[in-house]
Amino acid sequence: MFPWNYGFEWNTSHVIFLGAFYTVLVVVATTVVSALVRARRDLRARRDEDIRWHSEFEDLPAADRACRHVLTGEFKRRECPNAFDCRKCETHARLIENRPVVAEEGEDEIFGMAFPLDRYYHRGHTWARPETDGTVTVGLDELASRLTGTPDIIELPAVGTQVRVNGPALRIRKRNADVRLLSPVDGEVVETGGPEKDWLLRVKPAAEGGRTFRHLLRGTEIRPWLLRELERLQLALTMEGAGPALADGGVPVGDMAEACPGADWDAVCGKMFLEP
Amino acid sequence: MDKELIARGVKRCSTGRFLLWILPWVGLLAFGLFAAALCLVKGLNQTNMDNRFAFGLWIFLDLTVIALGAGAFFTGFLLYILKVKELKAVINSAVVIGLVCYSGAVTVLAVDVGQPLRAWFTFWYPNVHSMLTEVTFCISCYLTVLAIEYVPIVLKNRRLRDVPHLMVFEHELHKLVYVLAGVGTFLSFFHQGSLGGLYGVLRGRPFAFREGLFIWPSTFFLFILSAAAVGPSFLICITWAVEKISRKRLVRQEVYRVLARISGLLLAVYTAAKSIDTLVWINRTSPGAGFLAEQYYSWRPFGTWILLVEIIGCGLVPALVLLSPRLRQSTRWMVAAAAVACCGVALNRFVLTVQTLALPTLPFDEFLSYVPSWQEVGTFLAVVAYGVLVYSISFRYFRLFPQERELRVESAAAEAEAEFELVER
Repeated sequence: MFPWNYGFEWNTSHVIFLGAFYTVLVVVATTVVSALVRARRDLRARRDEDIRWHSEFEDLPAADRACRHVLTGEFKRRECPNAFDCRKCETHARLIENRPVVAEEGEDEIFGMAFPLDRYYHRGHTWARPETDGTVTVGLDELASRLTGTPDIIELPAVGTQVRVNGPALRIRKRNADVRLLSPVDGEVVETGGPEKDWLLRVKPAAEGGRTFRHLLRGTEIRPWLLRELERLQLALTMEGAGPALADGGVPVGDMAEACPGADWDAVCGKMFLEP
Repeated sequence: MDKELIARGVKRCSTGRFLLWILPWVGLLAFGLFAAALCLVKGLNQTNMDNRFAFGLWIFLDLTVIALGAGAFFTGFLLYILKVKELKAVINSAVVIGLVCYSGAVTVLAVDVGQPLRAWFTFWYPNVHSMLTEVTFCISCYLTVLAIEYVPIVLKNRRLRDVPHLMVFEHELHKLVYVLAGVGTFLSFFHQGSLGGLYGVLRGRPFAFREGLFIWPSTFFLFILSAAAVGPSFLICITWAVEKISRKRLVRQEVYRVLARISGLLLAVYTAAKSIDTLVWINRTSPGAGFLAEQYYSWRPFGTWILLVEIIGCGLVPALVLLSPRLRQSTRWMVAAAAVACCGVALNRFVLTVQTLALPTLPFDEFLSYVPSWQEVGTFLAVVAYGVLVYSISFRYFRLFPQERELRVESAAAEAEAEFELVER
């Protein structure tokens, strides 16, 4: 009803009632329009991948959001407040200042899997290795390689694509699984590898210096993290129809998806690659 | 077939089984839509309502589902405004229940009012002195709010999230959901109250007429309180039923306990307020209108038992059960008490709608009885079927219970540990 409608009068009842009604309508409409405007602004600023990761991170089970310092036993219980981006974490900065992570050489063998210690590991099972020419090589760690075996399809980004930390770096399809893998670094893709090489991307990092890899795991952090990941994998396999696994002390086979074709690999990979 | 639409990490039945589950409900919905179409095309002569019994099964249904659907606004208010974080586990489910209840109520109301092509008249030429106008405005506004609150739940679907525009819009809309929760609370507060006030202002019906504060009769406040009290109880019942049907754990026990405690507390306040209101009505309001309260209860089957069942059986008893920490620990007691509380609010709405109109008021009036026609029952059943269908589809494709995945992991871990212990022994 508007003042020019039949029956409208400028009295208290009309003004209060219709005033409240129109206020509600304006608030609701403003809320929706505001969400649309903010969404447009986010898309223009290319924040969509950042938003996606934060949203996915919130959807992860609490145990999977554990801080890296829980893995090393420095905290009993702590959820990462920065969505695994330790570059801006003051607690992490303080802890590594007091107790620097020891960089080791060679490789660590964990349940028959080799983890070279010359590189940094992302919690989503990609690694980043700084090269002498200033670029960073990105690849899948041994656990991810054994999970996906020989992938049916690997979708790599085109050369020139900008990748962001915790944004999608590539996509893998294997049996019924279709998952994205997270980028360990910010930068521009300058070269792509593939299954025939032991790496997948070569990236020119957006920034240089120590902070570029500060959010990634290295050295003595790798073993406790991997042991926890194997526990998660064992649980995921049990839940998703592969049956009890690893209980005999064996090692993960080379192509788990082929070894257990009946399991829901989409769910297993989603859990292990942090895509809920 | 539809696996790609189902969230990762949760288990749902096969497409075939799901189709089998929804098939009877689709049949019921089709039957109900036919009945409703008859009423809309041929008019209200298809019903057993008349000039005296102008409110029947449909209004009873409307009032009941709107009270039960109050879980949506009240849970939103508790979570987003009062920051009761435990309720995050059921907020999506509450929104779907609210949406189903309100959209069902509005649809039935549209059939009852008839002339759908003139529905806009109520907004263009409103009678601002009418409680019904307030109800219409608030319900239609709140239904819009619920529909907007439902959007982020839908957009969280796995496939829809692949579209960056939808994903970002969902994120931004979700950030502003507290505004919608606030607006929803304001609207619900007023329309629940107006629905109650509708009966309280019936001076020609002393059974329903009540005194109150300023322009609001006591029923205005009682309706708000009762809806806020049973909303969480209905949420308990639905969550428990979905857990049983799907054979999955969906929320932690502490979520049930929080809902039960809130519901019990509000139900106790409501029962006390209702008792005081009844005493005032028996001793002052009704005699003032020329009727002794006992006269109303001399018409069978509406004896005083109905009043006692409503206040004691469906009010005080479930309130005490839900407030008792020991009884609340038992799922059986808690769910039974919540179900009884929901029945209590339905009984209250039945009494105010049907008993009010059945009782004679004028010397030449007779006691009337009313049995709904099959078209009325069909339309009623269509709303039930519609609710089950919307909820089932939402449960299958959207994440109504964020704790479900985590609980599944915990159960699997516990089972694995138990197996390991068994092997070790």
